[in-house]
Amino acid sequence: MAVNPMAETVIEVRDVHLWYGEFEALKGVNLTVKHGEVIVILGPSGSGKSTFIRAINRLEEHGQGDIVVKGIPLSHDVRNIAEIRREVGMVFQQFNLFPHLTVMENITLAPIHVRKWSREKAEETAMKWLTRVGIPEQAPKYPGQLSGGQQQRVAIARTLTMEPEVLLFDEPTSALDPEMVKEVLDVMADLARTGFTILAVTHEMGFARGVADRIVFMDHGRILEQNEPNEFFENPKDDRLKLFLSQILHH
Amino acid sequence: MAAFTESLTRIRSSVEQRFNWNYFLQDNITGSLWLTVWVLFLALVTTFYTIRQLEVAPLSTIIILVAVGVGLVLAVANGLFQYHTRVGEWLRLNLLSSVSNVLLTILLLLLLVAAFRGAWQYAVVNATFDPDLTAPAVRGPADGATWGVLAGARNLLIYGRLERVNIPRVNQAFYLLLTLSAITFAANKTGLWRRNDLLRRILTYIWLASPIILFIFLNGVPYIPGSPLIDVGTLLIGTVVLLAIYGLLFWQRVIKFSVVSLVGAAAAWPIAYLLWRLIGRSPLFPAISPDSWGGLLLTLIVATSVIILSFPIGILLALGRRSQVRGIPNWLTWPIAIGATIYFSFTSTPQLLEDARNGVETVIAFWPLLIIGAAYGLQRSFKGNVVAAAATTFIEVVRGVPLITLLFMGIIMAPFFFQRGTTISNTYAVIAGFTVFSAAYMAELIRGGLQAIPRGQYEAADSLGLNTLQKMRFIVLPQVLRILIPALVGSFIGTFKASSLVSIVGLFDLVGIATAIIGNPEWLGLKKELYYAMAVFYFLVCFAMSAYSRRLEVRLGVGER
Repeated sequence: MAVNPMAETVIEVRDVHLWYGEFEALKGVNLTVKHGEVIVILGPSGSGKSTFIRAINRLEEHGQGDIVVKGIPLSHDVRNIAEIRREVGMVFQQFNLFPHLTVMENITLAPIHVRKWSREKAEETAMKWLTRVGIPEQAPKYPGQLSGGQQQRVAIARTLTMEPEVLLFDEPTSALDPEMVKEVLDVMADLARTGFTILAVTHEMGFARGVADRIVFMDHGRILEQNEPNEFFENPKDDRLKLFLSQILHH
Repeated sequence: MAAFTESLTRIRSSVEQRFNWNYFLQDNITGSLWLTVWVLFLALVTTFYTIRQLEVAPLSTIIILVAVGVGLVLAVANGLFQYHTRVGEWLRLNLLSSVSNVLLTILLLLLLVAAFRGAWQYAVVNATFDPDLTAPAVRGPADGATWGVLAGARNLLIYGRLERVNIPRVNQAFYLLLTLSAITFAANKTGLWRRNDLLRRILTYIWLASPIILFIFLNGVPYIPGSPLIDVGTLLIGTVVLLAIYGLLFWQRVIKFSVVSLVGAAAAWPIAYLLWRLIGRSPLFPAISPDSWGGLLLTLIVATSVIILSFPIGILLALGRRSQVRGIPNWLTWPIAIGATIYFSFTSTPQLLEDARNGVETVIAFWPLLIIGAAYGLQRSFKGNVVAAAATTFIEVVRGVPLITLLFMGIIMAPFFFQRGTTISNTYAVIAGFTVFSAAYMAELIRGGLQAIPRGQYEAADSLGLNTLQKMRFIVLPQVLRILIPALVGSFIGTFKASSLVSIVGLFDLVGIATAIIGNPEWLGLKKELYYAMAVFYFLVCFAMSAYSRRLEVRLGVGER
């Protein structure tokens, strides 16, 4: 799926370093994400993939370098952070639904209080996205009453109802049973096809190969290679990537 | 005959299958040296005690022995002859499971009965109940309770040393509260509360106003003769503050804007203020000194005030301690600290050095150096985060001192917080000190709850764009408070019992009034009766709180997914 080369740049990451105390988790990361692009980030554990996308959301604080989202620089300024968080939606590995609220309340909480929508508009939009992810009938239930796949889809709907510019996925299917992985990946693929800008950390190779516009390989805090899927899997150039692919692709 | 022998043989074989003399002796008596010693010792003690009890209370002792005997038969029948009874099975497994257990059962039953008999003799058989016959001259025998003191001293016990003329007002306040509670309870039970918006709104406002109404009844409205009806300064400040709160709530989308509510918010303070002054002028609610409150009245006031006030303060402290506010950078703190140190060293230290009479006062003269120490602590331990530093210091200091010292400190330091000349009642100072203490403990409980919520909840709230206030209000606190119900109610129960400590600082709460009652010549020396009654009272209240907390947990689904 080719991206229009004239599309505007949504996220720009320039020479970002991130430290956890003495340990350097990101060692100079550069990335540009255009509108409508679907980027999958691969890498061994501890490579900094989750840290990287969490830094975009200010869930982690980068020490050096620039992160610019839709022209808003990510700095210590609370207003910038708030604006960026409104434009960036995140789906977590652990779903992180609010257990004491119903599905509908989970989804409409942020639009009402952050985007200042009316309750009717929020509920209408919520039902639209719930239907889109395939579970409109679950609206009055509590998260504890849903299966893992349904919970993750509610989490996706919750993010989408905020109408963000970019969707970040942090290993969204890693905590799911295999039967449910497919239903979530289908939703993600559908979103990708519709033209959402997506940045996903995942281990699902099939998804990466079939849906991504670009795959990024990270290891030890650095981006070692990025390429479009076919080239990425067929002609890996970096040695670490070759090793990684040989370990995970059982041909 | 043959059938009899046959069943005998059957019984014998079934017994042999289940019973082995060797194993029995080994398990119960001979297994180890210590077991043998223990069983022998127990047998001796039990035998002697049984013989003694047979002399003292033959009837109950024999009943117990017979009961245990019957129990033994049932248990043995259950075990050896497969004769199933629920009781027999339970006894075999629990009370009568081994020789030493049988002996212990007998011994403990005898002890229990002896204790109960003693209590029964004291509290019922030998007791007198007449409130007029409590004076030492006409009292009953000393081995029986004189319960009359409870009825005779009931005014002291319930109201303390309140003047008699004020008692009706206290009663009225109580009945009002009772009526309000009954209405709310009924509304809740019948579902009206949930369905009817207007009713809910009215009742909520009345409950919010209830502390003020109770204050008017119990304390009266202070009135200084000759002062003007309206003080313009207070009028303006109050109106501005209320409008500011209104604006804040609207900005945070807690309430919707409407002309009615805006006018209401603007007019609320002037009207309330005027009413207050008018009531003060009228003879309706003359002032009552809070120092005259006592007994049950004071205990309830202190306990409820402290619980209600310390809870929100505790939440704020806990949130403050965990806050991630940007710290003051080093380049700002140190110049200020050094500047302040130098300034005070030149203005305050020389004078103090001159006045110093001994070594300690000389050292104290150099107090500005503490500013440097504080700045270092602020930067090193808290990275300049003043909010967290203040909250943590407050909590740790308050937790490091006993409650009584805080109560005394409250009384001593209260005058410093107000203008010269205004006196603050000791009762309020003690409530303030107690609230500070309780808030610090609550803060740590709540902080534990805040840490128990998975980090993902905070992260999800952040990534959705909720600000801190919204995050706390919608996501964090509902979950935290649900988890903390057992701990918080435990804290409330502790506060209720600790309220008895105010008797040490000179207030006559329920426990303190007992010493005053005994001092009265008519009720001289009736300590036991009063303290027993108080123990029962405290137990009932605390048990009720505990039981309600368990009901609350079930209703809110604490501990379930």
